[in-house]
Amino acid sequence: MIAALEFYTGGLWPYLVVILFGFLPSEIWRWMAVFLSQGIREDAEILVWVRAVASALLAGVVAKLVLTPTGALATIPLFWRIASLVAGVAGFYLARRSILAGVIAGEIVLISAGLYFSG
Amino acid sequence: MTPDPAPDSESPWPAARRGIRDAAGLPALMLMASLIGVGGLARDVGYPMGAGVLSTILIWAAPGQMVMFGAIAAGAALPAVAIAVSLSSIRFLPMCVALLPMLRRPGTPTWLLLLIAHYVAITAWVHSMRVLPDMPIEARIPYFLGFANTVLIAATLATGAGYYLIGQLPTAFAAGLLLTSPLFFLVNMVASARQTIDWLALGLGFGLAPFAIAVVPAGLDLLVEGLVGGTLAYLVHRILRARREARR
Repeated sequence: MIAALEFYTGGLWPYLVVILFGFLPSEIWRWMAVFLSQGIREDAEILVWVRAVASALLAGVVAKLVLTPTGALATIPLFWRIASLVAGVAGFYLARRSILAGVIAGEIVLISAGLYFSG
Repeated sequence: MTPDPAPDSESPWPAARRGIRDAAGLPALMLMASLIGVGGLARDVGYPMGAGVLSTILIWAAPGQMVMFGAIAAGAALPAVAIAVSLSSIRFLPMCVALLPMLRRPGTPTWLLLLIAHYVAITAWVHSMRVLPDMPIEARIPYFLGFANTVLIAATLATGAGYYLIGQLPTAFAAGLLLTSPLFFLVNMVASARQTIDWLALGLGFGLAPFAIAVVPAGLDLLVEGLVGGTLAYLVHRILRARREARR
């Protein structure tokens, strides 16, 4: 069936995949939030909890991207992927809370490891 | 052009311009680096450049896009791709619920809120949660849209560029670009963590991740650790606050 769909949509199939299987399943959460947040005041206690859940989810996303990577990132050994995150946080504090310095420190560790293991 | 209603006759443009200015530095740069990597992933699965660019404009979540192209590359069935993307985007529900009450005013139309919600992604969210509370309410929406549109446009251009660039790059640098999102998110979250509850949520989200990935059925791991980690952080926060108040 997919092959037939690919044929009938011509070159548009990848765009449809992005819309139907990427955009819609992702956007539904944002839409739901618009209706769920109706009538909640900015200083409501429940938002303290919601914010904590969102922060834990964000940390989980970071952990997941690094623990189960895709593409070229998967060629770097796990130890060095984690080491680059540690270097990022260390760089941030050593450079007196500079986000840019943290990101550069993490990238240096990861790219060096990548050059060593692929070269 | 319709004239502005009387109470907020002041122009939204100064606030929008401030948003654009705040975005047009490190935030835009970091998103560009992240989305260059995503452009390369779109090419890896044999999709046209336009589909990669469209995924940035519409999905607007580098992790979700990485999950989508990763699943397509792995030959997953399309419904499975949709479920994987959806599960990786669950965070937008609590993120938007936490942010929208700061932006909404009594007369704000629903279409505008839906549009604002679309722009919510990690970079704009972390930044807005930090700066919006100190801003007058009428400046918040223009500021947010100025900021979010700037990073979205920069990231969209980068996706298109990455589609052609990433094949030329040695693997180590391609890996470095894909690391940009998690690395920048992490340092950004560390930078904006203020109270104990922020640190607890961050630490628990990380600490629980390996267990959640191992124990919870695939895909649901993020949801479970977000709920468990966030709720634990909130409970500790309540206990600490009760103790502080008891001491007074």
